Amino acid sequence: MQAVKSRILRPAHVIDLQALSELKFVKAEKGLLTVGAMTRYVDIVSSDSIPLELIALKDAASRVGDRQVRNRGTLGGSLCWNYSAACTPAAVLALDGAMNLISPDGSTRQVAADDFFLGPLETARKEFEILLSVDFKLTDSKSGSAYKKWGLVTDALPVIGIAACLHFSNMDCCDYARITLTGLSGAQRCLGAEASLVSTSANTEQITEAMMIACSEISTYTDSIATEDYRYQLIKTIGLEVIETAKKRAFSLA
Amino acid sequence: MVAKVAININGRLFQEEVPERMLLVDFIRERAHLTGTHIGCTYEGVCGACTVHLDGEAVKSCMLLAAQADEHKVTTVEGLAPDGELTPLQEAFKSEHGLQCGFCTAGILMNMTDFLKRYPNPSEQEIREGLIGNLCRCTGYVHIINAVRKVVQENQSRKT
Repeated sequence: MQAVKSRILRPAHVIDLQALSELKFVKAEKGLLTVGAMTRYVDIVSSDSIPLELIALKDAASRVGDRQVRNRGTLGGSLCWNYSAACTPAAVLALDGAMNLISPDGSTRQVAADDFFLGPLETARKEFEILLSVDFKLTDSKSGSAYKKWGLVTDALPVIGIAACLHFSNMDCCDYARITLTGLSGAQRCLGAEASLVSTSANTEQITEAMMIACSEISTYTDSIATEDYRYQLIKTIGLEVIETAKKRAFSLA
Repeated sequence: MVAKVAININGRLFQEEVPERMLLVDFIRERAHLTGTHIGCTYEGVCGACTVHLDGEAVKSCMLLAAQADEHKVTTVEGLAPDGELTPLQEAFKSEHGLQCGFCTAGILMNMTDFLKRYPNPSEQEIREGLIGNLCRCTGYVHIINAVRKVVQENQSRKT
């Protein structure tokens, strides 16, 4: 709506999908959590179906804008708009979500988050496709996730936001890590940081080292909101907190 | 291009032809002539002064097209006390001096009315977080929070 009002978008037609109740659901079954595209932030936050390993989605949805915004804004809207500083794309990318899209001829296809988010305001959704839902695989291993952001005021758009998802075979071995960042140029993965955590116990020193690697992989910038260095500091500080939270959640300690 | 809409506002049906681009807040103010719903931030969705209930939930009416409220129920601040009898929250704003200039108050009342329905016994922190979508430049929020807490305390003591 903001994009239409500010004329970033000039649509010929606007079709309100709010009445499509088929697109509003949170469903966990057979090792899969599926969230309908028109599921509102408030419904994600209040859902009992989201398991602890995917809780980064709730972390993100619970801090979008304010409660009036969360009463209207939808997961699908945020993912398809893919704003450069949006919370849920980073969480969905960290949780390796898969987008279910439908074409006007009724054919459907699935696109992994890695291939869906192309850059700020760009996704792999084709012009006449509609996002139906997002799938998240549930794992048998111990796994945990988290998302946190820092903005100029509480619950504002993130200057830096970080999401993480870790799997552990045992307390000493992280065998899967996805770390994502938002606020700079849309949701992006920190591949070097992820690789450095795999086969470690993800202790504080190792996470700190991983976030140093993340900073070396990413370019920040200075503007009126924050300096380049401050953004690097945010990446390190929030990254440590988020990854430690994800680890604690994997072992149900938080 | 015009759209035909039928919007129930405070129990009264408004059937109008409106420009498709008309925002709900403008429909409320210009077509229903209910000017208690305010525009504080030039339609940017920031200040929350235009908060109304859409089917019972607090939303910012500058972030919706009037056409999106077609066949839905809207409640504005005028709908809180249709017979002139203030709600407990309105009474608390009065007794706790929860307003100064009053410009933001309608939006805060609508948001907190919905908030208290969903969270009947919130902590002060939860009230503060619930108010994030409403800007007040006079009170510093302290008296607003006191007013909301007063209603919570009254409701809790009634229960015990």
